[in-house]
Amino acid sequence: MESIRGKVAIIGVGMIPFGEHFEKSMEDMAQETYINCIKSVDKGIEPKKDIKAAWLGNLGRLFGAGAMSGSWLATQIGNTGIPITRIESGCPTGSDTLRHAIFGVASGMYDVVLALGAEKMREKPGTESLIALGTIGLGGHPSWTWGSTAPAMQAVYATRQMYELGYTMETFARVAVKNHHNGKLCPFAHYRYEVTIEDVLRSPMVCWPLHLLDCCPQTDGAAAVIVCRADLAKNYTDKPVYVLGTHVGLDHSFYWDKHNFIEMLATVRAANGAFDMAGIKREEVDFAEVHDCFTNTEVMNYEDIGFCKKGEGGPRLMEGYFDIDGPLPIQPSGGLKAHGHPIAATGISQICECFWQLREEAGDRQVKLKNGIALQHNVGGAGFGVSCVTITSRNP
Amino acid sequence: MTMPAPPSPVHWRLNPEVYRLIGMRCKDCGHITYPRRKVCPKCGSFNTENHKLSKKGTVHTYCINYVLPPEIEPPAPIAIVDLEGGGKFQGLFTEVAKPEDVKIGAKVELVLRKILTSRGIAMYGYKVRLVEEG
Repeated sequence: MESIRGKVAIIGVGMIPFGEHFEKSMEDMAQETYINCIKSVDKGIEPKKDIKAAWLGNLGRLFGAGAMSGSWLATQIGNTGIPITRIESGCPTGSDTLRHAIFGVASGMYDVVLALGAEKMREKPGTESLIALGTIGLGGHPSWTWGSTAPAMQAVYATRQMYELGYTMETFARVAVKNHHNGKLCPFAHYRYEVTIEDVLRSPMVCWPLHLLDCCPQTDGAAAVIVCRADLAKNYTDKPVYVLGTHVGLDHSFYWDKHNFIEMLATVRAANGAFDMAGIKREEVDFAEVHDCFTNTEVMNYEDIGFCKKGEGGPRLMEGYFDIDGPLPIQPSGGLKAHGHPIAATGISQICECFWQLREEAGDRQVKLKNGIALQHNVGGAGFGVSCVTITSRNP
Repeated sequence: MTMPAPPSPVHWRLNPEVYRLIGMRCKDCGHITYPRRKVCPKCGSFNTENHKLSKKGTVHTYCINYVLPPEIEPPAPIAIVDLEGGGKFQGLFTEVAKPEDVKIGAKVELVLRKILTSRGIAMYGYKVRLVEEG
C-alpha cells in the first residue's frame, strides 16, 4: 500500500460546543461550524476561490434528517459550484468523511478541500431512533437485531472481557471517571462535570454490565476541517498539522461470524494500516482520541490499537497510565463519554482536538508533547464492523 | 412508533432461515454462518451448502438489556450461543425466572417463540432457553 505521508496537511478546524441544541437547526450548526473553520485559518482563506471540493458526513436517516446529499452542504456554505459527496459509514462516519477528503488532496486532484460532519441526534427521542434499532431485521438478517440496541451490542463484549480478562465494572467505570475529568476542562464538551467510580456503579443499569454512566450521551454537534496539499500549507498557516496515515479496517457486521468477543478486528486492521502508512511505532504517539461509545470499548481500544497487549489495558488504566497527566493521555477532549457523540461530527471533532493539542492551543487540557504525534480512532456500524484510524503530526 | 424499515418482507423472504434455522456451511474453509449465503463471508468461496443449525448449545457471552423497544419487556437477557456442531446464534432469552441464572457456559436450547408484532404482523423466531441440568 502506498503512503500518503508528506502529501496532506490540515490548515484549519472549527466546531461548535457539543450538547442539546434544540434552539439550533442542522443548518444553523453546519453554518456556524463552517464560519468557525474558515476563520480559524491563520493567514486567511478565500473559500469560494480556494476550496475545490468538499465531503459531508451525516448518518441522518436514523435521527430524522432525511436523505441528504452533497447539495445540502453546498447550500449551507454558499457554494454550489464544487463537487460535494456525502459519506455515511456508521460511527466512523466523520473520520471516514475526512479520509475521503484526505485522498481527494493526496490524489493530486484538489489543492484545498473541506470535510464537515453534522448530526442532530436529540431531534427525535431515543425510542424512535437508536432504541428502535432493536426491533428490525437489519441488513437482511432475520433475527438481527431483536432487542439488541447499541448498549447491548457492546455489553456482550463487556461480559466476555470480564470473563476472560478479569476486568470488572470498576475497571470500566474508571474510564468514565477519567473522561469526565477531561471533559470538565474542555469548553466544547457536552458533559462538564466529574464523576466517581461509585457514581457510575450507582447509576441505573442500561444493559448489564453497562450502567448509564458507562454510556456516551446522545448529542447534537458539528465539526469541520480544511485539508490542503502539504507543500501549500504554509501559505495558510505557519503551524499546519500533517496527516501521516489514515485507514479503514473492517470486520463482519453480524455476531454470527465473529471470531471472539474481546477484540475488535476492525480496529486492529485500521490501526495496522494507519501505522504502516505513517511508518511510525506505537510508542511514538503522544496522545490519542479514541472511540469510547461505552467505557468497555475504550479499554478494548487500548489493546486493539496496540498501545498494550490484550489484558493489560485494564491494569494500565487503573494505574493512571491513560490519564491526562499520565504517560499516554487518552481523550484529552473528554472523549465520546463526556465530549459527546454526534455520530458524523465525532471523528472530525476528534481531529479538531488533535489539531489544537499538536499546536499547543488546548488551554487547561493541554497534554505534554514529545514527538508531536496524535492518533484518532472510531469504531462502530452494525456489529462494530467498521473502524477508522488517522495519525497526525506537527512535523511532515 | 415509526419503523425505520418494514420488517415483513425480510421475514417472508427468509422463511426457511427463520423457521427451520437454515444456515450456510462453507465447503472450502468450514465456516458456518446464519442466514444462508451464496458467498462465504469468511473466505469468499462460492462453494457453500445449506447447513441446518443445531438447536443446542452453550452461552458464549450475554448481556441483560433494561432499555428496550416497547414490545420487548425488560429485563431481557440476550445471548451469543456457541452451537453444537459449529456456528453461533444470537437471540433473546425466554422463560428466565432470574436474569442472574444466565451464565457463560450455561447449556441452552433454541425454541420457537413470538418475538414482537410489527405493523399488525406477528413475528416469530427462535429464542434461547436455559436447559435444566440433571
